[in-house]
Amino acid sequence: MTARNAPARVDLIAGVFVVILGMAGLVESLRMPRFEARGIDPNTAPGVTPGLISAALLIFGLTLTLRAIRGGGTGSGITIHAWDRGAVLRTALTISLALLYGMLLFGSLPFVPVTAAFIFAFVVATELANPDRALSVPALLAGAAALALAAAFGIQLIFEEIFLVRLPG
Amino acid sequence: MENLSHMLGAVAEIGASPRIFTVFWACLLGIVVGMIPGLTATLGVALMTTLTLSMEPDQAILILICMYVGAIYGGSRSAILLNIPGTPANAATSLEGFPLARSGHAGRAMAVATTGSFLGTAVGMLALAVLAPWLAEFALDFGSFEFFWLSVFGIVLCGQLTAMEDGLKGWISGFFGLLIAMVGQESIHAYARFSYGDPNLAGGLGLLPILVGAFGCAEVFSVMRGAAGQRVANNASGVLKSSLQAFRHSMTWLRSGLIGTFMGVVPGVGEDMGSWVSYAAAKRLSRKPEEYGKGSVEGLLAAETGNSAAVPGALIPVLTLAIPGSAPAAVLLAAMIIHGIRPGPLIMYQQPDFFYSIVAMVFWASVGILVLGLLLTRPLLLILKVRREWLLGVIFTLCVVGAFAISNRMFEVQLMVVFGLIGFVMRETGFPVAPMVLGVVLGPILDANLRRSLTLTQGDLMPFLTRPISAVLALLVVLILLAGLLPTRRIYGWIRARVGGMS
Repeated sequence: MTARNAPARVDLIAGVFVVILGMAGLVESLRMPRFEARGIDPNTAPGVTPGLISAALLIFGLTLTLRAIRGGGTGSGITIHAWDRGAVLRTALTISLALLYGMLLFGSLPFVPVTAAFIFAFVVATELANPDRALSVPALLAGAAALALAAAFGIQLIFEEIFLVRLPG
Repeated sequence: MENLSHMLGAVAEIGASPRIFTVFWACLLGIVVGMIPGLTATLGVALMTTLTLSMEPDQAILILICMYVGAIYGGSRSAILLNIPGTPANAATSLEGFPLARSGHAGRAMAVATTGSFLGTAVGMLALAVLAPWLAEFALDFGSFEFFWLSVFGIVLCGQLTAMEDGLKGWISGFFGLLIAMVGQESIHAYARFSYGDPNLAGGLGLLPILVGAFGCAEVFSVMRGAAGQRVANNASGVLKSSLQAFRHSMTWLRSGLIGTFMGVVPGVGEDMGSWVSYAAAKRLSRKPEEYGKGSVEGLLAAETGNSAAVPGALIPVLTLAIPGSAPAAVLLAAMIIHGIRPGPLIMYQQPDFFYSIVAMVFWASVGILVLGLLLTRPLLLILKVRREWLLGVIFTLCVVGAFAISNRMFEVQLMVVFGLIGFVMRETGFPVAPMVLGVVLGPILDANLRRSLTLTQGDLMPFLTRPISAVLALLVVLILLAGLLPTRRIYGWIRARVGGMS
C-alpha cells in the first residue's frame, strides 16, 4: 500500500462496511413485524425508523465507496496507515490488557487484587516497551506495585465509601 | 426584573451554602482532568455522572457543571505548556499559548487563558439566562414534525462541522449513532429491535457506557498509540498582573464570547468549534495579524473565551429542547434525566427555579476556575509531569468501574469496551465520534416524533414540508447536504477568483 493511495483504500474499506451495515439494517427493518393482525397503523410499525436510517446509511456508504474508487476525498484525519513499530506494539499491549481486564477478569474475580494486577501489568509492560524509559527495572517494578496497590484500594474506597457504589468481588 | 431577581437569588443561595465547597473541589477535579492529555471533558462528566447517581439532583448537577467548565478550561494548561491540547477544545489555544510559553511567558499565557475562560463562561452564562427562556417559549410551538427535523438537522450539521473537510464521514457517523439508538424496545409497541432474544440488547444500549467507551476508553488507546509528549520545563510568573491586562481586549473577548455561545447552541458542535471560529474571527479582524502563530495574546484570549463560552451555550438547547449542544452536554442531559429532571420547552413553566439554579451553577463554576486557575498555577504544573504509562492504566480502570457503577451490570462494562474499540477505529479512519454520540441521544426523539407525525397525517408527508418551522429546517438540511456533497472547495475558489477579479 503506497502512502498516496492509502487514504482512498481506508475509505473504500469503510465505505463497503457502511454499505453492508446499511443493507443489513434495511433487511432486518423489513423483517420486523407490522402487527397487521392487531389492526395497528402501519406508519407506527417498529421497522419504519430503522429502515429509513439504514437506507440513508446505505446511500452514504455507496457515495463513500464510489468516491474512494474514483480516488477522491481528502484523506484528512485518517492516521491508520501511518503507524510505526512502536505505535503498533503500544496499541497491541494496551488493547490486549484492556480486553483481558475489562471483558474477562473484572467482575469474575475480587476487585482489589485483579485491579492491582492490571495496573501493575499495564505500567510495567508499557514502560518496558518505551525506549525512553528513565527508571531501572527494580525501581519500575517497585513503583508500579506501589501505584497498583494505592490505586486499587483508593478506587475501592472512593467508590464504595464516598459514592456508595458497590464493586464486584 | 423578576428573572434577574430569580437569578441573583440562586447565586446567593449557592454562595451562602456549604455547596460553595463543592464548587471548588469539583472545579479543581475538572481542571485536573482537562489538563491531562487524553482525558476529555466528556470523560470527566461521564465518570462523575456514574459517581453522583446517589446524590441529590442539585448537588449532582452542580458537580457535573463544575467538572465540565473546569475540564474545558484545564485543557489550556497542557496546550500552553506541552503544545498538547488537554481536550480537543483547546487545540487553537496551543497555536498561540505554546509559542508564548516557549519565549518564557508561560505565566502570562496561563493568566490570559484563565481570564479568557472566565470571561467566556460569563458571557455564555448571560446568554443562557437571556436566551434560554426565549427559546423555550419559541419551542412551545414545536410539534412532532419540528422535533423530527430538528433531530435530522442536528445530526447533519454536527456531522458537517465536526468533519470539516469531509462532511460525508460526519453524516455516516451520525446515522450510525441513530441506528445504534434503535437497538432495544421501541416506545410505541414495546417491540425489541435488533435484539435476537438477548435481554441485555432488548433493554437498549445505554448512553453513558457508550460515551465512556467512545471518549474515555478510545482516548486511552489513542494516547498510547501516539508518540510520547514533551516534558514540562516552564516556570510560571506574572500571573495576576497579566490576568488583569487581558480584560483590556474587550472587543476580542466580547466577540469571542458571543461566537462561542452561538457555536455551543448548535446541536452537537460545542467547544471545539467555538474555539476555532472565535480564533479565526479574531485573526481576521486583528490589527496585528502578523503576531498570530507566534504567541498572540489576542489569539489566545479569543480561543479560550470561545471554548468556554460554548459550555453555557451548549446548555441552552439542553434545557429548552432536550437536545445537547456538545458531547459533554449530552452526558449532562442524560444525568438530568436520570435525576428526574425533565429538560424541554416546558422547563420554564414546570421547573423555573431549577433553570435559574443552573445559571447560578455556571456562574460559580466560572468563579471557581478563575480563583483556582490564578492561585494554583504552580501546584497544578506537577500533574503534567506524570507519564502516560503510569496514568492511563488507572484511567482505564476508572472507565471500567464507572461503566459498572451505572447499573451494576457486566453488560455495561462490555459495551463500554466495545465502543472504546469502535471509537478508536473511527478516529484512526477519519470518522468524527461526536456525531455518533449525538445520534445515540437523538435517535429516540427522531423515532418517536417521526412515527407520531406519520400517524397524525395518516402517512401524508406534506406537513413535514409545509409547516413553516419544518419547512425552514428541511431546507437547511438539504442545503447542508448539498453543500457537503457538491465540490464546495471548487465553488468557493471560483467565487473567490471572481470577487478577487472584480476588486
